[in-house]
Amino acid sequence: MSEKTGSLRIISPDGIFYEGRMLAVIMPSLDGQLEFLPFHEEMITVIITGELRYQTEDEKWHVAAVGGGVAETANNRCDIYVDFAEKPEDIDKNRARAALERATEQMRQKKSIEEYKISQAALARALTRLRVADRDPF
Amino acid sequence: MAGAKDVKNRIKGIKDTKKITNAMYLISSTKLRRAKKSMEDIEPYFYGLQNLMQRMMRHFPETVHPYFKGNEDVPENEITHGFLVVTADKGLAGSYNINVIKETEKLMGKNAACLYVVGEAGRRYFEHRKIPIEGNFTYTAQNPTRARARVITNTFLKDYDEGKINDLTVVFTAMRNSLEAETRTMKLMPLEKEMAEDNIPPDVLREEFIIHPSPKEVLDAIIPPYVAGLVYSALVESYCCEQNSRMQAMSAANDSADEIIQELRVKYNRHRQAIITQEITEVSAGARSGRI
Repeated sequence: MSEKTGSLRIISPDGIFYEGRMLAVIMPSLDGQLEFLPFHEEMITVIITGELRYQTEDEKWHVAAVGGGVAETANNRCDIYVDFAEKPEDIDKNRARAALERATEQMRQKKSIEEYKISQAALARALTRLRVADRDPF
Repeated sequence: MAGAKDVKNRIKGIKDTKKITNAMYLISSTKLRRAKKSMEDIEPYFYGLQNLMQRMMRHFPETVHPYFKGNEDVPENEITHGFLVVTADKGLAGSYNINVIKETEKLMGKNAACLYVVGEAGRRYFEHRKIPIEGNFTYTAQNPTRARARVITNTFLKDYDEGKINDLTVVFTAMRNSLEAETRTMKLMPLEKEMAEDNIPPDVLREEFIIHPSPKEVLDAIIPPYVAGLVYSALVESYCCEQNSRMQAMSAANDSADEIIQELRVKYNRHRQAIITQEITEVSAGARSGRI
């Protein structure tokens, strides 16, 4: 199996989230989901807030909530740099729910474009967290 | 006896002060350790982004992005410099604050400047001197977080986009070694488009990257967290130095408190001895006069 795996690193400012071999990684990109398999062509791409899934060597799928960032793959090594990365069991659902409410509330008010964008990003983060927290990775 | 009592009170006062300085010393040392830990956590992320950015520059040298724009189109005397000044929230840290402030004043020169001051001490200084600072920029220097670094970054990136500032320099303090701190400046905006010279021999196969969706959008995604990372590192570095300076200042205070206590104790003992001697003299003088 080992000749078909690639190395994967998911790095967030809080440290290295995952480092090891992978069979596949699916990430949220600007225009839909994007999958990297081992020996993917060299590529740099933008990642948005959403759910990221990766299959480890034992063919198990794992899921994580990630913030925006970039992914780079070269020489069968995939590095993903994201704003945050959280496992479903680490997500504080109550906090995410409160954040969701706050963000929807703020988006309803008339505000500057900048503030609107901030609320929008907060909303995306909260929704992602809630979705990932309840999710089975396949 | 009044003199002796005064001396005793002073000893007590100094002992109390020493308790405070000692506590501050201990608090600073724990804070320092914690800040260093969070600095280590962020390192892989930050260096990864840095590498990625250099790689982008190497593969796509023709990429244009507003953050790489030079100041060529603005005449020298019309440039508005932006400064991010990192000071502490309070004093009692030796020359930590004043060094940063002096450096900023030196850099400001004659051009218009926009000051973003972090920390209460710096803010008070500039307000006192009637030097205008960015009003809505009230961030504390305590416990630097990434979120705060990001908000700070967004503030000046927006001002940069709007042309309010033409460049941005961070004035902060960093450790030269484990004992000495030094004031440093770092030019943050516009980003240096460092053209790494091609040292790779031409016959080596180089990877061709696909950039998805476009170099500009990738840079849009990388640059803000990268700059925020730089700001964060400057904040943490300064915070470490602040705690370190405070530790040094406090341990000096502890030492001199010990010295003063020692001196006062000698003084007190002498005083007491003088009183005793005098009493004996009086008693024996009285006894002698009674005998005669």
